Amino acid sequence: MSNAADMPVLRARGLRKEYGKGEGLVRAVDGVDLDIGAGETVAVMGPSGCGKSTLLHLLGGLDRPSGGEVSLNGHRIDDIGEKALARLRRTAVGFVFQSFHLMEELTAVENVELSALLAGRSPRAARRRAEDLLEQVGLADRARFLPSALSGGQRQRVAVARALSNEPLVVFADEPTGNLDSAATMDVLQLFEGLHESGQTLVVVTHDARIAATADRMISMRDGALIDETRLTGGTTGQLGALIGLED
Amino acid sequence: MLGRILLVGRLAVRDLRRRRIEAALLLLAIMAATTTLTLALVLRDAASDPYQSTRAATHGPDVVAGVYQPAKLSGLEELAGAAGVIDHSGPYPVAPAKLQASGRTSDVQVVGRDAAPASVDQPELIQGSWVRDGGVVVEAAFANALHVRVGDPVTLDSRSFEVVGVAVTAAMPPYPGASCIVAIGCVNGAITDEVPPGLLHNPGLVWLTQADVRSLTTDSLSYVMNLKLADPAEAQAFVANHGEHGGATPMQPWENILEDATELARDSQILLLIGAWLLGLLAVAGLSVLVGGRMADQTRRVGLLKAVGGTPSLVAAVLLAEYVLVAIVAAAAGLAVGSLAAPLLAESSAGLIGSAGTPSMTMSTVGLVTAVALGVAVVATVVPAVRAARSSTVNALADSPRPPRRIGWLIAISARLPVPLLLALRVAARRPRRVVLGVVSIAITVSGIFVVLVLNAFLTTQPLAGGYADAQVEVLRQVLLVWIVILLSLAAVNAIVITWATVLDNRHSSALARALGATPRDVSTALAAAQVLPALVGAVVGVFPGGFALFAAINAITGGDSDRATLPSLWQLLAVVLATVLVVAALTAVPARLGGRRPVTETL
Amino acid sequence: MQQEVVLAMLAKEPSHGYQLRARLRDALGPLGDAMNAGQVYVTLARLEKAGLLAVEKSADDADRSDRKVYALTPDGQQRVAEWIAEVGWPRPDLAEFHLKLIAAAWAGLADPLTIVDTQRRELLRRLRDAQRAAMAEPKRSDAALLLEGIVLRLQADLRWLEACEKNWTHRRSGS
Repeated sequence: MSNAADMPVLRARGLRKEYGKGEGLVRAVDGVDLDIGAGETVAVMGPSGCGKSTLLHLLGGLDRPSGGEVSLNGHRIDDIGEKALARLRRTAVGFVFQSFHLMEELTAVENVELSALLAGRSPRAARRRAEDLLEQVGLADRARFLPSALSGGQRQRVAVARALSNEPLVVFADEPTGNLDSAATMDVLQLFEGLHESGQTLVVVTHDARIAATADRMISMRDGALIDETRLTGGTTGQLGALIGLED
Repeated sequence: MLGRILLVGRLAVRDLRRRRIEAALLLLAIMAATTTLTLALVLRDAASDPYQSTRAATHGPDVVAGVYQPAKLSGLEELAGAAGVIDHSGPYPVAPAKLQASGRTSDVQVVGRDAAPASVDQPELIQGSWVRDGGVVVEAAFANALHVRVGDPVTLDSRSFEVVGVAVTAAMPPYPGASCIVAIGCVNGAITDEVPPGLLHNPGLVWLTQADVRSLTTDSLSYVMNLKLADPAEAQAFVANHGEHGGATPMQPWENILEDATELARDSQILLLIGAWLLGLLAVAGLSVLVGGRMADQTRRVGLLKAVGGTPSLVAAVLLAEYVLVAIVAAAAGLAVGSLAAPLLAESSAGLIGSAGTPSMTMSTVGLVTAVALGVAVVATVVPAVRAARSSTVNALADSPRPPRRIGWLIAISARLPVPLLLALRVAARRPRRVVLGVVSIAITVSGIFVVLVLNAFLTTQPLAGGYADAQVEVLRQVLLVWIVILLSLAAVNAIVITWATVLDNRHSSALARALGATPRDVSTALAAAQVLPALVGAVVGVFPGGFALFAAINAITGGDSDRATLPSLWQLLAVVLATVLVVAALTAVPARLGGRRPVTETL
Repeated sequence: MQQEVVLAMLAKEPSHGYQLRARLRDALGPLGDAMNAGQVYVTLARLEKAGLLAVEKSADDADRSDRKVYALTPDGQQRVAEWIAEVGWPRPDLAEFHLKLIAAAWAGLADPLTIVDTQRRELLRRLRDAQRAAMAEPKRSDAALLLEGIVLRLQADLRWLEACEKNWTHRRSGS
């Protein structure tokens, strides 16, 4: 967090995204300024329809803004061509989606290696990397399974492994626990915690207070604008007992 | 009950409107099939019926006899009195002449007739009236070819006449297949060398009054006589007995005339029937993709209908109503287009009743075409309907659109390829059946092109060997043209349908690949390549063994002699394969590009 | 520390005080860290006085409190049985916070939204602590289950705060 001020990995200024025209104009993202430092975990929270997913798409180069700037690692990405954007997506960012978005006909390991293959790595290197990543997310024994044979939590872990495949600068996650039960959410949280500890920059859009609570920073969003920022300072309060009223 | 029917109708129409493009393509595919079927059926009728009906209507002769010198007229008199002959007309004088009409000159055989109707071979008027002095009646096919109508002025050997009628006869094959009844002789077929002076080339047939004929010429008259036998089946025997014997009196039994009159139509019909088969197969390939895609989608809709309380029978009724609606429209359109196009191909037999103008559209044709269209509709309904009756509502609702197939080895191989090919192979591997249909569709088309190339080369180089006259070659060419146009259009529709289905099917995985870093171009190229690769395979298979097999089949059916045909040269075949691939690439480029450019976030 | 909990922990067999503490620690995990040693012994002493417990002196040096072995008396056993059958449940005291907001707004003491915000931050901090602690626990341990419960309750509280915020924002813009 200390170097967030000098050199943010991700930086947005006056970011806007509008849909429709005239009466039907919707400002999904309306003048967002944001700096995210290397190694930071940032949670964006807000009611559904507040524009947080759109913001994530703009930051990750999945969608183009109507106005404003986005820079990744000091380079503008809002005005570059489709091709450069595609290169950015396969080298600098990784995505995790609410509904996993795995290819049904590919096994876990094939899904993970796909983004490495798209990035032009050799099949052998891509496969090795994919196997390592699956091991890292605790699914080494499920590598040859099709997504349909995996549980929701396992699928999301495969998706996380895929997002990490090309050692991205930033991993973007859009409601990663939205389709998961409590226990599977825990698995994903633990995985994110591990990423955080290894210094991975992580931007998570979520409804889930549990994810938000484990972030370094929590940003609240309403009607396309950032309205509040909370830093949940590090270290535990050491008063866990207070949670169950043990000390009276 | 009425409410139920209304409900079913409303649901069906709404679903069709929800997916307009799909409904339109479905309509187009069924229509292509019905059109071809109509054409083939109509021409089948055209090839066999008209001569018989013409024969009946004109009291057609069983034997036509002729002499080339007035001196031999006695021979004809003898024949008229021969055993077995129950009636006759003539002898009538025949003169060779040059006819000029609207700037064109053609050789004709002019037959002099009485103004009163004859009991044997009284030509049936299609237009106008029968011969009178100064008025000429033109044989229908000839009139058609010359574009003359009643009231037009013509000259015969520079003497002016007015066309007063157009008629058909069973005593002679229609133009340009006329048998020769003039003394100086005729040449039929395409001219390779100079026509020997004096010979008539592809003569047409016109009728004048006897007086007018005699006024045209005096020295080169010949005579014909039409004989009616007690037993028409004896005609061949009668000719054998009397012709061989006398030698000087050439005779033609009616079976020979029938043979000549319908030869061309039969050749066209064989081509069209084979074409119909090919087109039928193409239509089936296109339909399977469309119906297959729809059926998968229907499963979920069925679940929805059941969830809100629809009984299996209601569900089946809705599906059936939808397809029946499309099928009926397609059948009607196919019948209309088919019957409009058929005359273009049947012109050759315009010289016969029932085929002058429109080949007849019989009830059986209408019935069969409609039945086929409805058959498609029923088949398309049965599978989802049965599934609907069986599957639980919950399962149907949860059913995702058909889950993609997994072909492990193909996925493994594709990992070693460049990105667009990697994606293309995986796109193809998701739907192997669709790829097979694509290959089959292209293979059928290319086989058709192969055969057209062979026949075209044959018609160009050796028309005489085939026994075809210019006009006949023209007709056969026309048949081939219609054939190939429908074939190519249907193949194009198929290519678009398959690509479109693929693009829709891969919307999600395309967006995902782009989210993972594939460029729009990678994705579009992959979608197009997933069609072009099968097209390449299809084109090669279509040439060999497809084209060779099809040609062999045609030869087997027609009893033709394949040795006389020149097979297309290697470069021609390469050009066909290359052109096929290019055309498929062009056809698929637009949908593929649209598929590759969709905003990622919209789909995910 | 609730007396009934301590009683119930002795229901199976008589134990030393330190054994009892260890058992509690296992069940509570990191939450048990807040519980100091004295607390258990104070409770034990109260229960003994009330006649629900009896001390069985151990053989050797008897007087040290952590060497005492505690056992349930028949009264104690009955009390445990009653407790097990009870359906009492801790009441979340939402009314207090609710009235705090109303009072603050009515008297102009503070902006209710600021209060909600501060409160949320506090709850998030607690959630974060509980979440971290839960992640540190081995799966399916007793403590992990307890922590999950805490996390879920905090989530519910946070959701209510969201509703409060929405409501007060609406009131402000409405008036």
